[in-house]
Amino acid sequence: MYKYVLRRLLLAIPVLLLSSLIVFSLMRVMPGDALIALMGESGNVGEKELAKLRKDLGLDRPYWEQYAIWLWQMVSLNPGHSIFTNEPIAVSLKKAVPVTLELAALAMIIGISIAVPVGVLSATRQDSASDYLGRVVAVSGLSFPEFWLGTLVITFAAIWFHWIPPIGYVSLWESPWKNLQQFLIPAAVLGFRLSAATMRMTRSTVLEVLREDYVRTAWAKGLEGRIVVYKHALKNALIPVVTIIGGQLGVLLAGTVVVETIFALPGMGRLTVEAILFRDYPVVQTNVMLVAATLVTLNLIVDLTYAWLDPRIRYS
Amino acid sequence: MATVTERVVRAEEAPVVIGRARALLTTLQRKPLGAASAGLIVTIVLMAIFADVLSPYDPLATQPEIRLRAPSWEHPFGTDDIGRDVLSRVIHGARISLWVGLLAVGIGTAAGMVIGLVCGYCEGRVDLIFQRLMDAVQAIPGLVLALAIVSVLRPNTTNAMLAIAIVIIPGNSRIVRGAVMSAKQNRYVEAAQAVGCRHPRIILSHILPNVTAPILVIASIWLGNAILIEATLSFLGVGTQPPTPSWGLMLSSTGRAFMEQAPWLAIFPGLAISLAVLGFNLFGDTLRDAWDPKLRRR
Repeated sequence: MYKYVLRRLLLAIPVLLLSSLIVFSLMRVMPGDALIALMGESGNVGEKELAKLRKDLGLDRPYWEQYAIWLWQMVSLNPGHSIFTNEPIAVSLKKAVPVTLELAALAMIIGISIAVPVGVLSATRQDSASDYLGRVVAVSGLSFPEFWLGTLVITFAAIWFHWIPPIGYVSLWESPWKNLQQFLIPAAVLGFRLSAATMRMTRSTVLEVLREDYVRTAWAKGLEGRIVVYKHALKNALIPVVTIIGGQLGVLLAGTVVVETIFALPGMGRLTVEAILFRDYPVVQTNVMLVAATLVTLNLIVDLTYAWLDPRIRYS
Repeated sequence: MATVTERVVRAEEAPVVIGRARALLTTLQRKPLGAASAGLIVTIVLMAIFADVLSPYDPLATQPEIRLRAPSWEHPFGTDDIGRDVLSRVIHGARISLWVGLLAVGIGTAAGMVIGLVCGYCEGRVDLIFQRLMDAVQAIPGLVLALAIVSVLRPNTTNAMLAIAIVIIPGNSRIVRGAVMSAKQNRYVEAAQAVGCRHPRIILSHILPNVTAPILVIASIWLGNAILIEATLSFLGVGTQPPTPSWGLMLSSTGRAFMEQAPWLAIFPGLAISLAVLGFNLFGDTLRDAWDPKLRRR
């Protein structure tokens, strides 16, 4: 097991290095140094200042040196400064990461709490009205974009209940109630979308498992329906569901970008979108790398949970 | 001179296409939801092709005197903040969405197919390098990667389309690679190699026909996703730029700004996106049911 974890961690290094190379090259695709060219377009920045800025940001150095410096900055957890706010990126991230983590965790909890029970209900009552309802909800979750759902929720909450999302972020430790008011609806919007694929997978795998011999044996020995479904069937049905949840992590992280923008939550997603709109390259490349590293780590954790769910799986 | 295996494959190509069309028709007849999704897609395609004829008004014509009018017989979807007809803009929006979706999926699928064919056929070092590269691209969430690409290239519809195509490549290449590896095990490929067929010919004539079904299934599902990503990019301000009518842009530019006074500005473009995505998702499922019984979902 330890060997497996170590091997996976070692394999993640070349993948992350390649991702960093992609992100780094992407930021330098434009002819010349894009950043200075863009700042120069406004006409307010003189040649001398441009040269100074170029030197300060290290853009006059060869690409390989710039890449090495950036990598070192990332590894030493000091990814430099934002070009526009001049704030250290580490400071901005320290403020933004908890917001995104809270939103993502809450969305995941809401998503799974909708998906698994509805999926099980759909499977145990196959082809009944509740099954069809569950399937319709799942397909709509896959098709409704978060930004539309979010906009509709804000629109109708304002029209019907005169409620508008509180402005100005309050942390969970400052005022849990206010914080929950800010996060519950965005997390529900994101969670609904996440629940769709998981719901479909839960239904499908529970249906399969319910036809297995050991489930038939459980029924035959007169166990209560609830115990057969939840204790015998569900745990074994959960393995592909965990894979789907793992696959949803990318959707979740991308979803936070949209939801944070709509609900004005100062998280990583909003920070990245703003950096992209202002072409704040150091912030963009740091954030994208951080998201990639998070995704690779989370996928590893998801793989490891298989062993817990299915003792037959042994890693070597 | 054509080899025996080539002649056999060529003779079988036509029945394969007919067989697939028949399988699809049978599935459409059996599954009303599949037929409904096909109907939805046909409607969107017709809307995009005949947008100029179908739109009651010019989608760009402004009439400030009728700004923010609620839905009525004259303007079934209402008007926006500068008096443009929302129905006409939604109809023209189909053109942008479909255009971006088709081109992005076309480019992404073609590139993914070439990489997948080469990796699956050659294996070894080429495969290893490409697969790690694909891992690296996939480590970055699709929307975030698309956002970063568009930010570098400059926000517009074409660049949004290119960004989506790049996002599509890794997943497609993996599917094609898997299909090629399994097709390679077939006896007729061995026979073709034994009679001295060249590699490009083996790939194109003997292996490619085996991977078209999974490619088409994935492409149809990706079309829905591509439309969704384009709408999201436009919503975030880095996709299609005003005044071009794009569903995502309509939602962000006017839909949110006037949501309390004019909720129809948010409802109709969002409904259009959802229906298009729903149509392609369901149609993808139907294609899968028709052509790939192993992957059939319940």
